[in-house]
Amino acid sequence: MNRLDYLVLIATILAIPLYGLWRTRGSASLGQYLKGDASIRWATIGLSVLATQAGPITFLSMPGQAYESGIGFIQNYFGQPLALIVVCAVFVPIYQRLKVYTAYQYLGERFDRKTQLLGAFLFLIQRGIAAGITIYAPAIILSALLGWRLNLTIWLAGGLVIIYTVIGGTKIVSITQRYQMIVILIGMAIAFAVAIYRLSPDLSFENTLSIAGKMGKLEAVNFSVDPHKRYTFWSGLIGGFFLALSYFGADQSQVQRYIAGGSIKESRLGLLFNAAVKVPMQFFILLLGAMVFMFYQFEKPPVYFNQPAYERALENGYAPQLTQLQTQFDDVFAQKRAAIRAVSTTSASERDAAMNTVRKLNAEAHALRDQTKAVLVQAGVDPKSKESDYVFITFILQQMPHGVVGLLIAVILCATMSAMAATLNALGSTTAIDFYRPLIRPNASDHHYVIAAQALTAVWGLIAIGVASFASLVENLIEAGNILGSVFYGSILGLFLTAFFIRRVTGSAVFFAALIAQTLVFILFATTNIGYLWYNFIGCAVVLILAPILQQTLFRSAEASAGL
Amino acid sequence: MSARDEDARSWRKAYSVALSIFAVEVMLLYLFTLRFS
Repeated sequence: MNRLDYLVLIATILAIPLYGLWRTRGSASLGQYLKGDASIRWATIGLSVLATQAGPITFLSMPGQAYESGIGFIQNYFGQPLALIVVCAVFVPIYQRLKVYTAYQYLGERFDRKTQLLGAFLFLIQRGIAAGITIYAPAIILSALLGWRLNLTIWLAGGLVIIYTVIGGTKIVSITQRYQMIVILIGMAIAFAVAIYRLSPDLSFENTLSIAGKMGKLEAVNFSVDPHKRYTFWSGLIGGFFLALSYFGADQSQVQRYIAGGSIKESRLGLLFNAAVKVPMQFFILLLGAMVFMFYQFEKPPVYFNQPAYERALENGYAPQLTQLQTQFDDVFAQKRAAIRAVSTTSASERDAAMNTVRKLNAEAHALRDQTKAVLVQAGVDPKSKESDYVFITFILQQMPHGVVGLLIAVILCATMSAMAATLNALGSTTAIDFYRPLIRPNASDHHYVIAAQALTAVWGLIAIGVASFASLVENLIEAGNILGSVFYGSILGLFLTAFFIRRVTGSAVFFAALIAQTLVFILFATTNIGYLWYNFIGCAVVLILAPILQQTLFRSAEASAGL
Repeated sequence: MSARDEDARSWRKAYSVALSIFAVEVMLLYLFTLRFS
């Protein structure tokens, strides 16, 4: 990175929050602080919802995911448009008509205080830890590659988010997310264009796609019903539906985005915008990863993308093994490049044989990377993040022109800041509205609750930075974040679906059903190794089945006294 | 027809449009897969 990059980076990172602070000056009431005001339209809501979900992992990890395993991951998003339509039809009108500040207030109104507190408590634990991971994951990668100090990176990005989120509340989060998302989309479009431009002139774009496809990188849709296949149309549609329904319907960090502004119409339009654009957006991000893969078929990639870890292993006395592997890798790379060129020039009848050679050499290159990783483990420099997370950022730093590098680092930091701001805003609001107001100061003034929400947002920000500072103790953080969500979301969704669709169930029955479901998910998590997406379904299903049973048996008298 | 029914009907139309867009997206992705895999 040179001065131009730093200039672009700092200007982008600072300009958006400063503009947001200027736009939100003078906002004071509790309603404005927690829900924004009527000036928030569907486009802002739509981009804000998109930015909250995207996060830094999307832009750091997704292209690397496609580089490694192809674009099949797109199928994980297939359940989302359907879930968003259900949220528009069922959840939005209820939240907007009841004029709630948090999703869990609805549980309090429909059931009782303890169920509201349970829903809010499960959300706070899950999101509190996830906020730390949101900031740690990009910080560890950027600090490793750019030589920035890890804690300084965490404190600078986290501190800036805390300041503007505390001051401006929901409105500033929505406004800044809108512009951060615009920067992200422009940055990724430029990255895509540069990646295409930098592809080998030896192949046409169509030939490039064709070879990437034959190397297994472009299978976007797979209708297989084999449960061992990781990404299929069916697992994405069904598992993804439950995950998205929990996330958009019952996670305050998203609910707060689309109830901002207070109009059912604007909320629905913002969510339907997401239903339409999410799949194409993810497709282009994954396709970008496949194009980076094709770029590195002609331009020699590092044998191991996490170069800082690789260099530490060299310094630790593992140079002979690593140099030998590097020589073998260089040889395989040269053969593979020649074989790919041959594919584009051979006749149709010889093409299959040529492609088999390419696939064989690709498998050899993959094996050499695995062996390199094994040496790194031996050397005691086994990295905490996946190697594929370093693919796209390495491509950015080594292949993009100056200025664009700064912009793309800004994209990653914008994504971090927008996801973290939404999370802190939701954590502060939930603690203030669901815990502080009813349990500690029930009858204080509006102004008092605004100050309380601001203080609690700041406290959650500091907790997130604390989690990020100690996150290096946890292995495989990104996976941990996904698992954490799935472990808690199922029972939270079960609470909401019972509230909407099973009228005869009262608070105690659903409360104990959710506790049992959550305990069961914890036990399954500790004792089995089923795919984590299933926890969403299991937790939700147990609540939906158990709540009516408990109602008809243990809590029958509660039903009678409630007059149901 | 009341304004409320009219509103519900227009939202049902909006959901159908969103579903159709999703169906077209999946179909295009499938055609992409068939063409390049």
